[in-house]
Amino acid sequence: MPLDRRTFLKGATSGAVLFTVGGVPAWLTPREARAEGADLRTLTPAQARALTAYGEVLLPGADEAGLAHYLDAQLSVDPAESLLMIRYLDVPAPWNGFYSGVAHALDALAQRRHDCPFAELSADAAHDLAGVIAGGEVADWAGPPAGFAHFVLRADAVDLVYGRPEGFDALNVPYMAHIDPEAVA
Amino acid sequence: MKRMKMVDAVIVGAGAAGAFYARHLAESGRSVAVLEAGPGWQHTDLQSSLIWARRLRWGGERVATTGEHPFGYGFNAGWGNGGAATHHYGTWLRLDESDFEMRSRFGRGRDWPFDYATLRPYYDRIQKAVGLSGDAEAEIWRPAGDPYPMPPLATFGQAEAIRRGFEAMGMHTAPMPMAINSQPYAGRAACIYDGWCDAGCPTGALYNPLVRDVPGALAAGAEIRNHASVIRVTSRNGRATGVEYADADGERCFQPESVVVLAASAVHNPAILLNSASDDWPDGLANRSGQVGRGFMTHSVAGIYGLFKEDTEPFMGVSGAQLSCRDGYGKDREQGFGSYQWLIAPAMKPNGLLGMAVTRADLYGDALHAFIRRASHHMANMLAMGEDLPDPDNRVVLGEGRDGYGRRPAKVVHRFTDDAMAVHRHAREEGLAVMRAAGADEAWAGPLGTAHMMGGTPMGSDPADSVVDGYGRSHDVPNLVLAGTGLFPTAGANNPTYTMYAVALRGVERLIDDWDAVAA
Repeated sequence: MPLDRRTFLKGATSGAVLFTVGGVPAWLTPREARAEGADLRTLTPAQARALTAYGEVLLPGADEAGLAHYLDAQLSVDPAESLLMIRYLDVPAPWNGFYSGVAHALDALAQRRHDCPFAELSADAAHDLAGVIAGGEVADWAGPPAGFAHFVLRADAVDLVYGRPEGFDALNVPYMAHIDPEAVA
Repeated sequence: MKRMKMVDAVIVGAGAAGAFYARHLAESGRSVAVLEAGPGWQHTDLQSSLIWARRLRWGGERVATTGEHPFGYGFNAGWGNGGAATHHYGTWLRLDESDFEMRSRFGRGRDWPFDYATLRPYYDRIQKAVGLSGDAEAEIWRPAGDPYPMPPLATFGQAEAIRRGFEAMGMHTAPMPMAINSQPYAGRAACIYDGWCDAGCPTGALYNPLVRDVPGALAAGAEIRNHASVIRVTSRNGRATGVEYADADGERCFQPESVVVLAASAVHNPAILLNSASDDWPDGLANRSGQVGRGFMTHSVAGIYGLFKEDTEPFMGVSGAQLSCRDGYGKDREQGFGSYQWLIAPAMKPNGLLGMAVTRADLYGDALHAFIRRASHHMANMLAMGEDLPDPDNRVVLGEGRDGYGRRPAKVVHRFTDDAMAVHRHAREEGLAVMRAAGADEAWAGPLGTAHMMGGTPMGSDPADSVVDGYGRSHDVPNLVLAGTGLFPTAGANNPTYTMYAVALRGVERLIDDWDAVAA
């Protein structure tokens, strides 16, 4: 169910997004939402597993930072409120179809090549398959253009791991905010 | 349909041009209604984050971008009060004298309906009002103009590193002129060099419409209606009679007026005119010339990157550039016709479309972590911006289908000319050579990008091949005025905002002077 603008912004200004944990609404960051097993609004569990596993291969740490819940929260708001990088890339909104298409393609590719979903691949197999996808020319890829999918998911992972004040701290780079980015969650 | 109270002027778009017109017309005593498709941003909305910055980009109905070199509308366009200028970088360069006389001097493109000397006083007045930081004497390429009112902005490690490369190759650099305060000016604070310009500058050190024109327009009595999506401009007996729009609740409204100012962007101005076709205007309102939508232009962008041993502090500075090089601004060269310029040492963050990670899209996993860690302290970058000559086949058209209001979507068709691509390739090779000459351990280039949107409703002296005159007034519809970068007959290679303001100042002052005749 999409969040309305007022509800979204209310949570956003307090530094969190409205998730539901055990049927109880709670304002949580994506990292907290992941840790507490918050319900997903838009992505299916299978889609979340595939996207999380892929994001973790692209940039280790993305899973723990709550990539699936971040994507789910941003896909659950009006596209005009979305914070996703794909907004810049002239892909028609809404973008749910793009992400579900990538998740489906990941699992289908892994299933064909390794007889299991992407999230169940060994670390080496997942890394190798990510390299194939990054190359863009994948004969048995059935989803949004593979190279583009790599670019977008990788950018989402970088946003989450390095695009927020904690990420700057990890790089020993001063954040120097005029206004702290609470809304990013 | 809800009928609104009559106003003197209805302005479509509260971006740089629309807010500028709104303030001037309201201050001259005219009643003004501004229809803005997006939200009513405040300074407090401008959170320092490249993730947050995305909400400042276009969030309205889809704009399709097609052609061999599609224009990047999603990144370049704006949304809400201030428009694209809320997230612009404040790189304010004047166009060169040659840019105004492309047809006369080179037999290429179009001539503007006035020359540089005519526009110079407007550039000078704008820079005094806004406050530019720079060093006019150091800019050996700069056309005649008053000195900048403020000294240049500070430079940091990556600028100094790249400067070495230009000097080693016998090329020139100078501080980039920026609409950013190097010291307190016009009641606004000085820049603190945090590199968050892309997310909008809440202190107003970087000039944007939220600093002066939006509050000035409101203070003078203008009304800005946010989330107002324009459907069409209505007309009767050769004159514009009003604007139909959908309000924030989706209700269809009609705003009658004496004068319409379209300032919706170089994409949406032509789209609105084309969607305003009627029995009297079968090819689109004010389109007897057939030029509405044609000659759309953008700048080519080549990103050049390097890694150095020294600490380059790439996160410090401003998003625009620290230094400028316009040794390549001459039009005619063996490697393609057209100008290019270097924007040297924009501040970089790890993420975002212009961030460090994107420059090495081939890396992932632990290798990406390692790269970002190194790049955060040792990277340097610069961008070559190249000229796109007006091509009638590069255009804004209407796409297939209609929405619930009967409106067809905007579609942009774009391909860089062979000359523009040759200039782009030349600049790319030059940039790699500069980076190596600067001592970079590694140097690489990014893919072709696009920046800025211009043309599509070109100014001209001849109504047969242009849409508006040198003041932005329609040749066909006497009470219809257009504003913004869409008026540019040629693009040059310099960032367009400064020129847009100079052209708008010239246009709005003439409109105020001629009001009775235009609005009659």
